[in-house]
Amino acid sequence: MSRGENTRKRIRELLGYADDGFLREDEVIRTEGLTKCFGDFTAVDHISFSVNKGEIFGFLGANGAGKTTAMKMLCGLSKPTGGRAVVAGYDLHFNSDVKRLKKVIGYMSQKFSLYENLRVWENIRLFGGIYGMKDRDIAEKTDELLQRLDLTEQRNRMVRDLPLGWKQKLAFSVAIFHEPRIVFLDEPTGGVDPATRRGFWEMIYDAAERGITVFVTTHYMDEAEYCNRVSIMVDGRIEALDSPAALKQRYGASGMDEVFRMLAGRAKREE
Amino acid sequence: MGRMKDFKRFMSFVGKEFNHILRDTRTLMVLIVMPVVMIVLFGFALSTEIKDVKVAVYDPSRDAATSRLISQIDASEYFTVTAFIDSEEGVLEAFRSNSADIALVFEDNFYHRAVHDSDGRLQVIVDGSNTNIGSMAVFYVSSIVSSFQKELAQEAALNQAAAGGSSSSAEAVPSVQIHTSTRMMYNPQMKSAFNFVPGVMGMILMLVCAMMTSVSIVREKERGTMEVLLVSPVKPFSVILAKAIPYFVVSAFILLTVLCLSVFLIKVPISGSLMWVVLVSLLFILVSLSIGILISTLVAKQEVAILISGMVLMLPTMLLSGMLFPIESMPKVLQWISWCVPAKWYIDSIKVMMIQGLGIRYCLDAVLILCGFLTVITGLSVFKFKDRL
Repeated sequence: MSRGENTRKRIRELLGYADDGFLREDEVIRTEGLTKCFGDFTAVDHISFSVNKGEIFGFLGANGAGKTTAMKMLCGLSKPTGGRAVVAGYDLHFNSDVKRLKKVIGYMSQKFSLYENLRVWENIRLFGGIYGMKDRDIAEKTDELLQRLDLTEQRNRMVRDLPLGWKQKLAFSVAIFHEPRIVFLDEPTGGVDPATRRGFWEMIYDAAERGITVFVTTHYMDEAEYCNRVSIMVDGRIEALDSPAALKQRYGASGMDEVFRMLAGRAKREE
Repeated sequence: MGRMKDFKRFMSFVGKEFNHILRDTRTLMVLIVMPVVMIVLFGFALSTEIKDVKVAVYDPSRDAATSRLISQIDASEYFTVTAFIDSEEGVLEAFRSNSADIALVFEDNFYHRAVHDSDGRLQVIVDGSNTNIGSMAVFYVSSIVSSFQKELAQEAALNQAAAGGSSSSAEAVPSVQIHTSTRMMYNPQMKSAFNFVPGVMGMILMLVCAMMTSVSIVREKERGTMEVLLVSPVKPFSVILAKAIPYFVVSAFILLTVLCLSVFLIKVPISGSLMWVVLVSLLFILVSLSIGILISTLVAKQEVAILISGMVLMLPTMLLSGMLFPIESMPKVLQWISWCVPAKWYIDSIKVMMIQGLGIRYCLDAVLILCGFLTVITGLSVFKFKDRL
């Protein structure tokens, strides 16, 4: 198409990264030997996995197992030091690809990620604007969103005055407001009671049904049960990857927390 | 098209930052009230009205003229004679014990020398550590002395007429002359008391720009919103720029307030060109903003940002910029360190333009050095920012 696109293609061919069908048709993420080193320390050690379109993919691991680092690479925050990863058709090896990737993904961090001293509608408008949505679309979708969340009355309230559960629901809604292809959730439900967490997961299911792939890290094992497939990271490597049911069967465990304890118990790395 | 979109995105960011600042009323009040309070406080503490300045007198001649002059000075509302001392060395003692602010030293045989030799000498010694009293006191003493001189001259003329009466021509009237000389102790250059105005300007602008900008960027890092912005298609550079713009506006407003207050309330004249004062101030604001941004790329916690801008910026700004202590009298090492303090160059150039009333070319070196600071610091922070991604 444009000259930039052509150059990009040429560079890829030269480096042996031609559009080689690395990413299969029904996949949105595929990594092979993806690695991140900080000096001598290998935070993520040759991980290879793939995530299917519309899937809810759980990314489990103890603190320090490398899941946040892996996720940061996948959403373009941090550059891999080795291996290959293609996300939503964009190769993380190329800075130009990462720029494009950022438009089609959503992100919600483990810290609460809205602006506390902006009003509800101002937060929505700001993030809609950041993702280049048109003013009219933003206005329309804002009304619809607030209605769905039952927040219409609260639209002029400062976000800091909302209860935590509402804040997190709002943050998730804002993260998928621009209809991304993938949404990355980094421990989204920290500090929330189980009932609110279930409500939150209903929203995740809704999003997945609309075709948004959900990539979620968590350390609540009841949440792991909600995922289509989970991977468990130990010491920077993926130790197991399958559906919760299959994992439980393989390890003869009654719940995911038992599976997790068995695998995480092998960790040698200090926190 | 794409560019329009980028611009709109950018403006919504700027709007968000303005919201942050305007809604944080407490901080905003501090930002606006602090410079006002500082200027007003300094201004009134330095009120140019002097009253009952303590005078020590050394009068070896003890004749009619000196005692009349002394009682005239004592009678004026500005002065109170507090001590008669019996040697010139006593002056220092009087200053040290704070029993005098100025000292009058007459020469021996004053009356005779004044009337017959036209050369009566009177030395006014001023304790220069109180810059404000100093210049005003000298002014009032000399006006009292000069009217006393006229008085003496008339009397001398009358006496002469009474005594001889032979000639009434002007040449025959003895010209009575009292030569007043002034000596400053402790502050020989007699730096203007208004020096604090550039100092306050430098400090406030540094504080607002560097501290507020760094804290507000670091706050986003701490709260996790920065991560969300970095995942989004927004260019990191425009996030930072959007942060800098509102603080630039706030600083410009503060600059205007301080300038108005100093001109209209405490009547510091802007003797030089107002345009250059403003332009150099804006340059300094940019330097401070870039320092704030650099700090924010280096630290991850708001407290650390405050600590760094407080310790690493404020202290040197106050101590090494010449605002409180004259740099010339510091040890060489400290003088070299003071060259690394941007505020020093700013305060220097504002002093030159505002107080001394000289043109921009007299502080061109300071302005160029500020430009250098701006380039280097901006370069460093852009480099640091890319480095992280």
